[in-house]
Amino acid sequence: EETISAVHAFPETLIYTQSFLDFVEKVNEAGKGVIQIDVRGGPEAIGMFQQPDAVRDGIVDMVYTPGSFYGGALPEKDAMVASNLTAIETRENGGTELIDQIHQDKMGLKYLGWFDSGVCYNLWTRNEPSFDADGNLEVEGLKLRGNNVYNAFFTNYLGAQVIDLPTGEVYSALQRGVVDATGWTQIGLIDLKWNEFLNYRIEPCFFSTDLGVIVNLDRWNSLPEEARTILQDVAIQHEKDSVEALRSKRDEDFAALDAAGMTVVSLEGEAKANYLAAAREKTWERMKGLMAEQPGGTDNYDRLIELFYDLDAAN
Amino acid sequence: MEWYEALALLLGSIVFLMAIGMPVALAFLAANILGAWVFMGGERGITQLLNNGLGALTKYALMPIPLFLLMGEIFFHTGLGGRMFSAIDKLLGRLPGRLSYVTVLGGTAFSTLSGSSMGSTALLGSLMVPEMNRRGYKSYMSIGPILGTGGLAIIIPPSALAVLLATLAQIDVAALLIAGVIPGLLLALFYIGTIWLQTRLDRDAAPAYDVEPMSLAYRLKLLMTEVVPMVGVMVVIIVLMIQGFVTPSEAAAFGALGVLILAAIFRCLSWEAIQKSVIGALKVTLMAYLIVFGSATFSQLLAFSGASRGLVNWAIAFELAPLAMLTVMFAVLLLLGMFMEQISIMLLTVPIFFPLAQTLGFDPIWFGLIMLLSLEISFTTPPFGLLLFVMKGVAPPGTTMREIYTSAFPFIFCSILLVVLLIIFPNMALFLPSL
Amino acid sequence: MMKRTYDAVLFGMAIVAGLLLVWLMLSVITSVLMRNAGLQPFAWLFTSAEYGLLYMTMLGAPWLVREKGHVHIELVTAALPVGLRRIVSRTVATACVLVCLILAWQGADLVLTNIERGDYDTRAYYFPRWMLTIAFPLSFGMMAIEFSRFVFGPELMHSGEAGIHE
Ligand code: NA
Ligand code: NA
Repeated sequence: EETISAVHAFPETLIYTQSFLDFVEKVNEAGKGVIQIDVRGGPEAIGMFQQPDAVRDGIVDMVYTPGSFYGGALPEKDAMVASNLTAIETRENGGTELIDQIHQDKMGLKYLGWFDSGVCYNLWTRNEPSFDADGNLEVEGLKLRGNNVYNAFFTNYLGAQVIDLPTGEVYSALQRGVVDATGWTQIGLIDLKWNEFLNYRIEPCFFSTDLGVIVNLDRWNSLPEEARTILQDVAIQHEKDSVEALRSKRDEDFAALDAAGMTVVSLEGEAKANYLAAAREKTWERMKGLMAEQPGGTDNYDRLIELFYDLDAAN
Repeated sequence: MEWYEALALLLGSIVFLMAIGMPVALAFLAANILGAWVFMGGERGITQLLNNGLGALTKYALMPIPLFLLMGEIFFHTGLGGRMFSAIDKLLGRLPGRLSYVTVLGGTAFSTLSGSSMGSTALLGSLMVPEMNRRGYKSYMSIGPILGTGGLAIIIPPSALAVLLATLAQIDVAALLIAGVIPGLLLALFYIGTIWLQTRLDRDAAPAYDVEPMSLAYRLKLLMTEVVPMVGVMVVIIVLMIQGFVTPSEAAAFGALGVLILAAIFRCLSWEAIQKSVIGALKVTLMAYLIVFGSATFSQLLAFSGASRGLVNWAIAFELAPLAMLTVMFAVLLLLGMFMEQISIMLLTVPIFFPLAQTLGFDPIWFGLIMLLSLEISFTTPPFGLLLFVMKGVAPPGTTMREIYTSAFPFIFCSILLVVLLIIFPNMALFLPSL
Repeated sequence: MMKRTYDAVLFGMAIVAGLLLVWLMLSVITSVLMRNAGLQPFAWLFTSAEYGLLYMTMLGAPWLVREKGHVHIELVTAALPVGLRRIVSRTVATACVLVCLILAWQGADLVLTNIERGDYDTRAYYFPRWMLTIAFPLSFGMMAIEFSRFVFGPELMHSGEAGIHE
């Protein structure tokens, strides 16, 4: 029986970590006598942003983390960030395979699966958002909290200078009015209790979560065929299951937020199309710029966009 | 390797290295090299150690420490601090240990706004200890109360650690923050009681000298010119924070700026004073941050190797009555707290302890507060409480280890007493949130 | 001549560390003032302060070794007779040199890896990682030299008086 070690980027109580632990449980069930995953912990075991390097260097065999935490080494993760598809479609159309190949080539990592996909981001504000004559969102006067996931969009398109705060400080920053707007995924706002201060959700949502399981490639290749098959099969199944699970969680969260008085404000028509187009195009732009500096250049650029974005669905 | 072997290896090496006199930061780094070699697969583990250190240091949350130190040093080197304390000395007359009381009162007020224990210890330490030492206070009368109030920062709101705990444990943030108010104030009262007792037991603990009688007008003038402006700086920062003008992490910068402006107004700002202040603040910061650099990875090695989780799971596997179980959890938190960093302890224990507390029928808010108290205590627990080292950095030369430990002890006892009282009277914590 | 150049580098690094401390204060004040004036503060104010913490610590640490500012506990060394204390003290200093050399060596290795892989630190900006990690070989290398003064030099690291010492 083979055992591989694993760590996860977020604290154990967070919903995304719970999803990963479900996956681990399924592997350990299906893999009895063949393969077991030994979870060593979260950011208390290896720092959140050091985990990608740790799995690359073989200190730990498996990591569950957003691709954005190693976006410097693999700018192609922005294809997932900007995506409007889920892992189910990209597994079918070969997108996930391409991402896996890029992980292997650039980082010596096996990309096992894209979990918890199909969840997108909204802008959440304390005060009623204002719009200009053309219906575009006005960001002047917003004290917007940002981080490197959104900044290509917030800064380069919306023209906002963001206030960079760690997640742990956002609650008190909202409480004191240091920030009054933030991007966040559709789910999780209630768990973080930010809904105590945020009253408006701006639609449409943009982006996608980019959480995935990466495995050290040497370790992966050293595993017996049977173990690899179990890991890959369970991962593909969990890609599907997690989409379903998180969609129902989102519906629950939205209902709870509605009941507590969250107001939904939506951009319409051309303003909406521009907003969405900017979210993806500014992010693609960043991706292209960084890819160009790396070996291999922008060879995969067009294919990534084709496989990770459905333009028809957006329009 | 079994968890207890890993635990013995890691704790054994750090205790040994510190005992033979290796600088604390270097002892952490040496133990980390050993641990990384064993648990992270040799050389590449050491690379990981450096990456971790980089992550641990480049955190905005560390900002208050150097800036509060700078504020305290400017206060001291410009002579503003001396003037204020002379005035307070005169105003408070014969009360023995008056500056110790001032420390507790000021420290409590200050903890109310600061969420950073290390930051407030740094400020109070650099502000008060040199002055009190100069005036003939025994060191336990200055160091003890400051270590005590440094820890208060965690339980009296606002407290970043309390918010994080509530988020991790999925309990009501506001309720946990409010729950800390009464116990926090009570703890400050205990501190005052402790100081009173110490001045009774040892007549020489604080200088007793006669104060000349002063007219009311003179007292008023002294108050307005020497005390109000300095205290005003603190009050202004508190107001700025409450108004949301600055975050707790940013407040320290304005504190330092405020003191600089004040010194300029009082015409005691010299280039030399600025230089000395920066050097003083830099020395303590460097010392403390290199320890942070080393201890962050040490915490992670305890977690990654399975040592700390093994300990936690082993301890809770005993099927005990609720009260005994609570004691076990408290003891585990204290033990981990001696060697691990606060946030790591929370990440590790919250997912295990809170469900357990629930099955034992504990109120989660009450349990959260007990947990915060244990973290607060661990910050000042010998041998490795980080506050002890920060304090050492600002204490007068020649202050011995025994002095710092014995100074901390009565105040640690106060916190433990508070925990016992909370167990007997849970309503002390739960009354305010229930309103 | 070599010694004078070396000392100039050591103190130069400490001065930069001191200036960085002042920069922390200025960057925080600037960004708060901008925010409250209704402007959106430059993200680089925040990022430079975070990186400043690392550079400050690493650039100042070797100077602090010379100043005997790294706190240690005198327990065993205080209880030993003079001759034995000298041996223990020099052994401990040797161990410190060793620790610093290992970290300097691995730090240099890390820098090369960062350059080779083209690693970035991704916060508000994408910042080349080697520009941060370069601080490690420099700092630990010089700390090794400073600790070796307590191995070979006339001065001991330990005073023999019980207590925590700087
Ligand atoms: Na506080
Ligand atoms: Na501690």
